[in-house]
Amino acid sequence: MIFAALILILSTAMFFFYFQVTCQKVLRRQFDREYFQSIVNANRLEFPSLRKSLEEFGAPVDYPRLRMMLKCDFLALTYLLKNAANVNQRYSNEERLLILYFRWQFLSLAVRRLLKVGEKKAVLRLTSVLQYFANVVGQRVNTVRFGNLTAADYLLNL
Amino acid sequence: MDSGIVSYGFQYGCILIEAGLIVFLAQRSYGSRFDSVLLYLSCLLAAGVARSYTLHRYGYHSAQYSYVYYTTDFLLVISLFVLVCLFFRRACLHQEKMWRFVRLFLAFTTVLVVGISGLSFSHNYSRLFLEFVTEFNQNLYFTCLVLNTLLYLLLQQIESTDDQLGLLVCGVGIQFAGPAATWALLHLTANERFAQSLNSLVMRLCTLGMVLVWAYAIVPVRGRAVVTRSKAAVLAEVTAHLNI
Repeated sequence: MIFAALILILSTAMFFFYFQVTCQKVLRRQFDREYFQSIVNANRLEFPSLRKSLEEFGAPVDYPRLRMMLKCDFLALTYLLKNAANVNQRYSNEERLLILYFRWQFLSLAVRRLLKVGEKKAVLRLTSVLQYFANVVGQRVNTVRFGNLTAADYLLNL
Repeated sequence: MDSGIVSYGFQYGCILIEAGLIVFLAQRSYGSRFDSVLLYLSCLLAAGVARSYTLHRYGYHSAQYSYVYYTTDFLLVISLFVLVCLFFRRACLHQEKMWRFVRLFLAFTTVLVVGISGLSFSHNYSRLFLEFVTEFNQNLYFTCLVLNTLLYLLLQQIESTDDQLGLLVCGVGIQFAGPAATWALLHLTANERFAQSLNSLVMRLCTLGMVLVWAYAIVPVRGRAVVTRSKAAVLAEVTAHLNI
């Protein structure tokens, strides 16, 4: 009985551990440049400033406002992921996985808030997911805008 | 929605993705890098097809389905153990000294699992082969979960740059951890109906998860999530926009 309970606890913990590691490996993907900045500026997203304030100043943030900021950015970016320059108008498998990961981390943020442990870590993980989404949207928009044309190509064809 | 239908959906989805990955790996020449993955995927596919055929032919409660299910499960767990051993070999490819130690450790683990299962079987000799197989499978499964976690820690320790192996190990970890947890739950709840259906669902979901993570690791997609359009289409769109 005790052995089974121990296996249950260990295996469940390992399942979530592997799920998190897989998501973080997907998030480590390198983009050829920082596409997210243009998307952040165009849509007035707030996660970069939130991350900067946490990383540099460790500033205490108003929790309801923080939740609202993250949620709004998440909704905007998932809408863009699905609809901006996306021919199939649906999420890819890794996007679905990361959406699930974001929701899980969002839930974990609420629990961490209650227990008052590792809140900052959870917020940084959430912002890294948002940055990944913004990078993907930025890369798509960039590719669609220019196709395989350079500016010179386009002007020559006019 | 009926959990049985969802469960079968996952099962057939798995079979399709496994077949796709096998074809992909067979077409490309990756040397011996993915031989272990190819071997395990082939076993998984063969087991999936054999189980589906027996289920449709003889039904869920038949003795034939039961034998096919447990025999394929036995073969799958053995091949998973071989897969983890081969992943250890790949991780220690340039570290012969470490590999010698790991090899001994793996051999000791195998003897330990067979010994414990055999001991349990000899105490209850009246029990049938199927029960021995179930016990052996569960022991080896949990051992593989622990070994896989040790492999992950080893990769971190030696600061491996093989990201692909890292993802493959994570996939295997998902495949091990979910079912091990639900098996333990089955033990704790004395095979309650809810735990049984959860076990069946989680096993298929975890296999699907593993296959998808492997597909992500193996299939190279140039500029993932990039939409490309033809030169003419872009030109037409921009020109139309300028005319407006």
